[in-house]
Amino acid sequence: MNFIKFGEKYFDEVEISTYRKREIRAEIELNQISMSSISRKTKTVIRGISDKRLGIYVVDGDGEEKIKDGIEKAYKMAKMNRRDERWVSLPQKQSYGKRTEINEDLKEREPEFFVNILLDSAKRILREDANAVVAGGESGSEWVESMVMNSHAVEVSQENVAAYFYLYVVGRKGNQVTPGIFDMDVRRDANLDTDYIVSSLLSKLKKAYNVVPSKDGESTVILEPFALSELIEYTLLPSLKGDRKVKGTSYLQDKLGERVLNESINLLDDPWHPLGVERIIADDEGVASRRTEIFRKGKLEGFLWDNYWGGIEGVGSTGNGYRNLKTGGINIAPHNLVLEPGNQKVEDIISGIKEGYLVSLLQGAHSSNPDTGDFSVVANPAFKIENGEIVGSTVFMLSGNIMSLLNHVEELSSEQRKVYALGRGIFPYVKFYDVKIASVSK
Amino acid sequence: MLVSPKELRRREKVVKLSERKIRWIVRLYRDVSTKEAKKYSYSTQSSRNRKTQILSLDTFLVIFVGDLSSIIKWAESTLDAEYVEIRFEDIERFHTRLRDRTFHTFTSSHSHGYGIRVLAQGAWGFSTTTKDREVKDAILDAYKMAKVSSNSREEKIQLAEIDAIEDEVNSKMQIKPGEISVEDKIERMKNLEKLLKEDKNVVSSDIRYEDATGTKILVTSEGTEIRWDVNYIWQYVWLTGKNERGRAAVRDEIGSVDKGWEIFQEESEEIVAERAHKKLHSQLMGVYPKRGEYPIVAAPIIVGIIAHEALGHLAEADLTINSPFHALIGKQIAPEYVSMSDRIVEGGFGNDIYDDEGSKVRDVHIIEKGILKDIMLNREYAFKYCRKPNGHARAENYSVPPIIRMRNTVFERGDHSFEELLEGIKFGYYLVDFRGGQAELNSSFQVGVQEGYVIRNGEIAESIKDTSISGIAIEALKKISAVGKDFGLEMGRCGKGQTAYVSSGGPHLRFDCGIVVGGQR
Repeated sequence: MNFIKFGEKYFDEVEISTYRKREIRAEIELNQISMSSISRKTKTVIRGISDKRLGIYVVDGDGEEKIKDGIEKAYKMAKMNRRDERWVSLPQKQSYGKRTEINEDLKEREPEFFVNILLDSAKRILREDANAVVAGGESGSEWVESMVMNSHAVEVSQENVAAYFYLYVVGRKGNQVTPGIFDMDVRRDANLDTDYIVSSLLSKLKKAYNVVPSKDGESTVILEPFALSELIEYTLLPSLKGDRKVKGTSYLQDKLGERVLNESINLLDDPWHPLGVERIIADDEGVASRRTEIFRKGKLEGFLWDNYWGGIEGVGSTGNGYRNLKTGGINIAPHNLVLEPGNQKVEDIISGIKEGYLVSLLQGAHSSNPDTGDFSVVANPAFKIENGEIVGSTVFMLSGNIMSLLNHVEELSSEQRKVYALGRGIFPYVKFYDVKIASVSK
Repeated sequence: MLVSPKELRRREKVVKLSERKIRWIVRLYRDVSTKEAKKYSYSTQSSRNRKTQILSLDTFLVIFVGDLSSIIKWAESTLDAEYVEIRFEDIERFHTRLRDRTFHTFTSSHSHGYGIRVLAQGAWGFSTTTKDREVKDAILDAYKMAKVSSNSREEKIQLAEIDAIEDEVNSKMQIKPGEISVEDKIERMKNLEKLLKEDKNVVSSDIRYEDATGTKILVTSEGTEIRWDVNYIWQYVWLTGKNERGRAAVRDEIGSVDKGWEIFQEESEEIVAERAHKKLHSQLMGVYPKRGEYPIVAAPIIVGIIAHEALGHLAEADLTINSPFHALIGKQIAPEYVSMSDRIVEGGFGNDIYDDEGSKVRDVHIIEKGILKDIMLNREYAFKYCRKPNGHARAENYSVPPIIRMRNTVFERGDHSFEELLEGIKFGYYLVDFRGGQAELNSSFQVGVQEGYVIRNGEIAESIKDTSISGIAIEALKKISAVGKDFGLEMGRCGKGQTAYVSSGGPHLRFDCGIVVGGQR
């Protein structure tokens, strides 16, 4: 059945998107496999506009009856909505890049494969450290097929598959519990780097048993990729979204073309970066994907836009429309935020620090203020550096404003890590100077 | 049977559905052809007059549960499994988002599916499906997954025993969200927006509203059959303001499972707008606090989030086992005037009668007179800890398995007045409202503060902006020096991989030290 034609009986413009997802997952808890699961989900989202009134319907499934019923229900919603005088239109017909082939071998992997990844990794950790507990972790694969079509001849389907693996490890000696140490890998094939993850966890755990105090004041701090990504997600990224620029709630709204960050900061959204996991050709509105420069040498080069806000501003979409599958609404989000690397290896950066801290993860980045960029977070796990060596773990509060912090960059590492939780993208380790800290570990 | 025949007859008089409607419902629930649906509707009709078919939705659901029970029986006879559970959900939701006079989200959604959990050879397997005709296949998938897990397990999972329950959980709401027209819902949001924007400092407002009406069913191989009439209301406001001193943003959140549309009598547009403006002004006029450790008086909303983040998470058995709490059960961890619970509270957003494993929800007195007494459990961890399950296994929806979650986490009342709590503090902070928080297994916690004030010489002074507090929970607890005699509650959401509606609260508390304030000064 031609659903678009059916939808056009009701709407001036209509969009139908279907998402089919299959997830295989193994979970580990307290050193043992706790659950294996398979999940199949299908969702259809109908978005229609009638007389500049928006109506959306979201339903589990993609059967003909459900979609037809959904179109009628979306129309009922539209009739009750206010006219939106600023509405321009749904995206027009697009030219897309070539779809990247998915790894068929990964798509067919059985759950046993992921169970073994977890078990082998846990065994190696427990063999090396008798006090370690694999508190949690998962490994699995996620296959997603999506299709977007609208009444302006947009019709695009794409398929993606990725494997992931993460562990969360603590060390217990008597009543003392180390902070949780986390690391992960995500790939477009099944070659998950378990060796790197296991050795990274063990090396951090070894240093975490020795809890040392931190000092109030201003200090040199290295943020690891996960910590940096999470902080950027909640403090900088909101101000780069076009909707906030239009509404006047972005603190960067009048800074286009100005150098506002340290010259070493080059930030872009790159869906096709070699380390990227989802190499998409279109966003959730069917707009063709592209590389978008955000900061070049600290200068603000551009904002991220979806179809609606890009239409209002007259700049068009940058292909950054992301659908909330619960509400069917579109939000602006990057696909793969890339902070370009520097020249020095992270071990060389650490060895050059007389006194400072290395921060693996942050607590409370989500409680930052996206409208000002102010943050006040807890560094945990964090490690104290003395004379170029890590001497133990510590906990402290780190406060400031993201614009100020990104002007206090001293060094970016040559290594980059993929981040696929706590933000999404590819980030190096970054050394900052004069960061305000307050000790929690006394 | 979940409902007596007499009760069914009474309801049938109330809910009369046409033959067409019956076929529609049957198709919706069973995904069968119209012809089959017609046969089904005739075979289940209870009217004497064939031309006017009468069937209540309740009757239909009773038949439907019967089907699920027979599928469970099939699973028991087919599989070598210790336990099989089907969780079915059919829920209609209404979502809107009003941002500066435009409804950017205006959505009706329908979620319909099954979450299957199988315990076989001491290990869990889980699967989901949205298709009614594939429930048996999904059970076989979950069984296969359990066997994959079991091959590697040395310690087999066992479940603490519970009574098999046959029950129907009815909503306490006086006016369910489904009884209010969409027009009335959006009218209320428009009024709220108008009031929010009356303040000249407001640059932008963003109001999200969501409600749900539907059915959730749990059927297990142990004979449990529970049907919930699911209803909730949730509203979230984000307000951005600006003045000559800079920008500020605050949130306000309300939610309810027990109170229906009547909640907006006590949480009227005027009250919400006034509260949001107060928080915004405190931020706009605020100064950055001095970072460091100072005496703190925490208001009920901050006390609640400390209860939730700093202590509640450590008392979730799956986290307790790896946290300092594990070794402290039965020991004095706070002064004897400190008690804290996760319990049913009037108006609590986490209230329920049973959890998603069918265990009865019981009050958990986590800290009683300073002693760490009890923790929150599901059936698996109740067996590990040799305790009775207390109803804390919750799943966000059918597509995820239940995990251990809080409900309403509160400090209990003491006997100090607010003035007594401030007495003698030369310099400290009075913290009123939060914006997010997070806990860690080493008992380090963080809470973002969106409304707070300086305490100077025992008096509330200027407001502070954009800060957070942190501490090591097991250390900070010992530093509570006084407990207020008032009580307040805040509704919110907790993310632990899945989202759960929760509330948290308590009386005012005073910490002489143990809490570090993060600040830009």
